[in-house]
Amino acid sequence: MDLNYTPEDIAFRKQVRTWLEQNLPKTEIRNLEDRRAWHRKLFDAGYLGMGWPKEYGGGGARPMEQAVVADEMARVNAPSPTNSLGLGIAGPTIVVHGTDAQKRRYLKKILSAEELWCQLYSEPNAGSDLAALRTSAVDQGDHFVVNGQKIWTSAGAIADWGLLLARTDTKVAKHKGISCFLMNMRQPGVDVRPLKQITGSSEFSEVFMTNARVEKSDQIGKLGEGWAIAQTTLGYERGGRALARVTNYASQHSRLVEAARRMRRHGKPLIEDPLVRQKLGRIWAEIEVERYQALRTLTLLERGEHPGAGGSLTKLSYSELEKRFMELALEILGPYGQLTEGAPKEFQLEIDTAVGERGSWAYAYLWSRAGTIYAGSSEIQKNVIGERILGLPKETRADRVGGKA
Amino acid sequence: MNFSFSDDQILLRNSVRAALDEQCKPAHVRAMFDDPKGYSDHLWGEMAKLGWLGLPFPEEQGGAGLGLVELALVLEEMGRAAYPGPFFATVVLGGLGLTLGGSAAQKDKWLSAIASGTVRATAALLEEHLDWDPAATAATAAKSGSGWALSGLKRFVPWAHAADVVLVPARSPEGLSLFLVDPKSAGVTLTPMVGIDLGSRWSEMRLDKVAVGADAILGQPGTAGPVVESLLRRAAVMSSAEMLGAARRCLDMSVEYAKVREQFGQPIGSFQAIRHRCAEMLLEVENAHAAVYYAAWALTAGAEDAAVAASICKSYVNEAARKVCGDSIQVHGGIGFTWEYDLHLYMKRAKALEPLYGDTEYHRELITRHVTSSR
Repeated sequence: MDLNYTPEDIAFRKQVRTWLEQNLPKTEIRNLEDRRAWHRKLFDAGYLGMGWPKEYGGGGARPMEQAVVADEMARVNAPSPTNSLGLGIAGPTIVVHGTDAQKRRYLKKILSAEELWCQLYSEPNAGSDLAALRTSAVDQGDHFVVNGQKIWTSAGAIADWGLLLARTDTKVAKHKGISCFLMNMRQPGVDVRPLKQITGSSEFSEVFMTNARVEKSDQIGKLGEGWAIAQTTLGYERGGRALARVTNYASQHSRLVEAARRMRRHGKPLIEDPLVRQKLGRIWAEIEVERYQALRTLTLLERGEHPGAGGSLTKLSYSELEKRFMELALEILGPYGQLTEGAPKEFQLEIDTAVGERGSWAYAYLWSRAGTIYAGSSEIQKNVIGERILGLPKETRADRVGGKA
Repeated sequence: MNFSFSDDQILLRNSVRAALDEQCKPAHVRAMFDDPKGYSDHLWGEMAKLGWLGLPFPEEQGGAGLGLVELALVLEEMGRAAYPGPFFATVVLGGLGLTLGGSAAQKDKWLSAIASGTVRATAALLEEHLDWDPAATAATAAKSGSGWALSGLKRFVPWAHAADVVLVPARSPEGLSLFLVDPKSAGVTLTPMVGIDLGSRWSEMRLDKVAVGADAILGQPGTAGPVVESLLRRAAVMSSAEMLGAARRCLDMSVEYAKVREQFGQPIGSFQAIRHRCAEMLLEVENAHAAVYYAAWALTAGAEDAAVAASICKSYVNEAARKVCGDSIQVHGGIGFTWEYDLHLYMKRAKALEPLYGDTEYHRELITRHVTSSR
């Protein structure tokens, strides 16, 4: 056990820090084109797709180097790149399961943000029960015809391509009749309608597919293997973001401490209130424990091991922590916490929200509610932990009766 | 960067577990409940032979020269076995206290004797006001001849009745000082304090002008503050390791039980209500593991954040163990509430350690002091 960083990692961190000092955008990112330009700069520096194979534009880097880049970006509040679903889900799926032709066709354009991606998994009646999805892909000889509806599609409104899960066989058990495709979003049969969320903004969309076309060459893996493919690549890149996430929380915490210094109650700075001090101390402990866990995950990844079901512990831990943290922050800030505008100047301490945008505490609080729902709700993670790590018996479920699943 | 145990560390953990599985079965733990001394000399001798008693001491003083990560591994296993005896008091409180504050002569004399199993030690860190801040120490040390006369009231002194030497912080005219006291000296009165964990023994220790020699002081008079703080940090992390072991045992027993116990015609572990509770327990155990071993490493390596890591560890593990041990009884239902079932041995150990060596509030205040002063 040696939790010191190696001299190589320290030197690499220094190099990344210097690059960021010289290259961070000087002006605010206002639109997608600004963000693409910043993305392109990160890619040219070798800081995107760091773990992907070199022959397809990746960097072949170690997990620690990826973690260091993300961490240093979080430290200086650098804008995130665009195409997060391309980098986080679609790309890794193609790297692991794609044909050589698919890798050559798509990967480089994901890395350079020339083509933006979304993930077409969830449906109105298939969220936590993802395998219940109904969107169909019917074989037409040289292509598939897709009909159905997807929901909670992040980046749907800007995506050029989507990673699609669709049913290709209705006669077999529900987990076995699903296949995985790459679908062009810029075609007449695809209708994207932004969803307005409780935050007031629209990061998600609904996607309606009416006789949309998917080429045979855009099928990933074999027919009927879509479920297994989705399982291996969901959360594929989680480990590399672990340190950066903690650094984000840490910077939010220091802004909360600063706000508690400026606010006064009963004629004294709020930071002198023992109750507030207890709350700040408690949440700092939880954030640091998350950092220790990130280092544990990185140790595994560095040894070439995949955390497997352990990823469910990580996801459960940080998403629940984020919710507790934001609830506590709003408690400390009192009525000011829920303001989106008009706060007195001395408390206008903008924070970086979960989506990498600057915003209010209220916005970050609302966003924290999503973390325990998306990418497998906390309840689903607990099922995975219970069954796959602790080996507890599966419950009798209607979709498993008769040994079909 | 490597957050995993070495082969040697895994070997150590396995050998400690095997020895305790063999010699510290629940029947042994229960037998010691009624034993006047409360621990087994035979097992103590075995621990000396296996090198556990000198594990963190320098080799020149008869120790193994290992660090706090290794000591935490041993203590985690002791928590897992609910080991009854003065190991923590002797090795952590007495031994590490001497390591931190003792002169070469004092270390030579005491540490090798502790390592060989001939001497048991402890420290009296808590007083009437139950304040963990060493600055609040009220016991006094007055000059008396060539030595000192100590007076005051100490509470929750672990295994004082079994100790040959007690580290006693007291206020001398120069400030906080640390003394070595033989609990059999004239003027010392020990009164047993009995808690829910019958595998832990404490005493109230009254000192009435207890005479100690000039060589009984550790370091210079008035300089003990930082030593006691360092000792407290180590005690906080090592007791967390013991609580982690107890919590892990409670989780393991719960999972095993949930697989076989049937209700409504199904194993209860197939119900989400039970499965989710077990998953939450595992998350707490894993996080507690990270907190304990990070802090143990940081203290050994002298890392910049070692002090705050110790406070993070104790405050986090206090709550994690509370949840896991408490939930384990809930998962077991009625059987978990019986005296005959072993679950309460571990749950009580964790509960007894929760307020010791800094309760949750105390450590959270230290954490906030750290984050508000470093930014």
